[in-house]
Amino acid sequence: MNTMEDKLIVPQKFKNLLYGLIGIGLISMVAGFILDPHRAWANYLLNNYYFVSIAIGAAFFGAIQYIAQAGWSSAFKRVPEAMASYIPVAAVFFLLMYFGMHTIFHWSHEGITETDVLLAHKAPYLNIPFFFLRVILFFGLWIVMVRLLRKISLKEDAEGGMQHFYDSEKYSKVFIFIIAISFTLFAIDMIMSLDPHWFSGLFAAKSFIAAFLHGATIITLIVIILHKIGHYKMLNRSHLHDFSRYIFMLSIVWGYFNFAEFMIIWYGNLPEETIYYVSRSHGAFGVLFYANIILNWFIPFLFLMPRMTSRSKLFMVPVIILLMIGQYTELYYYIWPAVVHEAKFGILEVGTYLGFLGLFALVVTNTLSKASLVPKNHPYLEESVYHQF
Amino acid sequence: MITNRKYLVGVFDDEHTLKDAFQKALDKGVVIEEVYTPYPIHEILHGMKNKTNITTAAFFYGLFAVVMLIGGMYYAAVVDWPLHFGGKPFNTFPSFIVVTIVATILTITILTLFTFSARAKIFPGKKEEIIDIRATDDKFIILLDQDKMGIDKPEVTKLFQANGASEVYEKESN
Repeated sequence: MNTMEDKLIVPQKFKNLLYGLIGIGLISMVAGFILDPHRAWANYLLNNYYFVSIAIGAAFFGAIQYIAQAGWSSAFKRVPEAMASYIPVAAVFFLLMYFGMHTIFHWSHEGITETDVLLAHKAPYLNIPFFFLRVILFFGLWIVMVRLLRKISLKEDAEGGMQHFYDSEKYSKVFIFIIAISFTLFAIDMIMSLDPHWFSGLFAAKSFIAAFLHGATIITLIVIILHKIGHYKMLNRSHLHDFSRYIFMLSIVWGYFNFAEFMIIWYGNLPEETIYYVSRSHGAFGVLFYANIILNWFIPFLFLMPRMTSRSKLFMVPVIILLMIGQYTELYYYIWPAVVHEAKFGILEVGTYLGFLGLFALVVTNTLSKASLVPKNHPYLEESVYHQF
Repeated sequence: MITNRKYLVGVFDDEHTLKDAFQKALDKGVVIEEVYTPYPIHEILHGMKNKTNITTAAFFYGLFAVVMLIGGMYYAAVVDWPLHFGGKPFNTFPSFIVVTIVATILTITILTLFTFSARAKIFPGKKEEIIDIRATDDKFIILLDQDKMGIDKPEVTKLFQANGASEVYEKESN
């Protein structure tokens, strides 16, 4: 299998481009902090959460592949591994949020527990020391597990044998439970606690599914890009179809959760629940409510359903890009009404997004270039290379 | 089948010999009537060129079901018999969706089943047409219609036997 040796060499030009994007992001952030701190912190939170949820979704995807003993995806497992390597970088950013707590989370205002009964009730959970303790705990667990799986994966390349595969599967089983529990709590902390008076039982599960959906989407995009620049020569229509199935299935689950949450709240008509949607039903947010559903569910559902389109890059890439926008609009819909209170969108938002995108791409390509793109001794590698159905 | 048809039946013991013989017969221009296997085999499905449009039909059944269900519920709840339920609007669209999803799945299932049955000409109480009873167990069967197989009988018999057929025999249906 000498032909499978496939190493990514990142061109200096591309790196310079990414440094440029990061520069744009830095300038936008600094300009934002000077001009409009609320908006800047909202941007900071949104992009942080956006890329960490993609990384977590990718880590979850990788773990699922081990547990299901999936053959078809084993040649591409370096991609989710590389995306998960963004988690330590995100940890630093989330810790830096300490300086913006009062701007972002109004439960963290001093003295608010004396006037607000509900927040006083929630104070044992929602307080700044415990909040950061949780951030450290969650990121600690994720980093340990991601590092462990990556280490086993690289060891398998060097040594071969079945033991590393069994180990990966064993730790993956632990990892999915860690992700499921910790990421749902993380989503409650970061997004749902922006509206601390709001109650919803499904929000955290929905955020988790959204992370998995968009993680799987970006994995597909990276694989397609790598194929385009001459790697992963064995990528065929059957692989694409399997990637499409993940996106298709998860976008249906996303639509289902999104609808279930809304329907229960709409039908129950309790003020402490409906307030969330009422405050988001006017102006641009009223449009975004429908845009979320169209971008994250309707378009993937319709365009990835036929066999022909779900195996064609020509259709998959636009759907993936719309899903990337869909994740942005979804988070924008959650964060902006709570932090900025009105729909402001401009160069600041685009610049910050580009900055984080550049950083994410830099970390991912850096990790990808450190090991062979195709794992060498994975027991299912042969099956993956000749995948056909 | 009304008219008597004379068949030539090739029996194979495993998938690989079947696939070999199937491919070689196709290359020689043999017209294959049908292949019976204990489980689906990709190469056979491709080789027989049996493309199904039942998924397209299912999609349109689903579309039909969605339109009819939402239309029907809208007619019942808003146009024909509006009732007040605790201040809710007459058109409670989000609550229609749950019914629509479930009933659409049911509609698609039933209509697709009927379509398939009609297309495959099966109905309750139909007498089964089994060419070789062993095809329902572990044997692989290639069936040729002697009138239009596009090749001589001895030649195809030789072809099958050379490629590992355990048995080649003739059979008449009635």
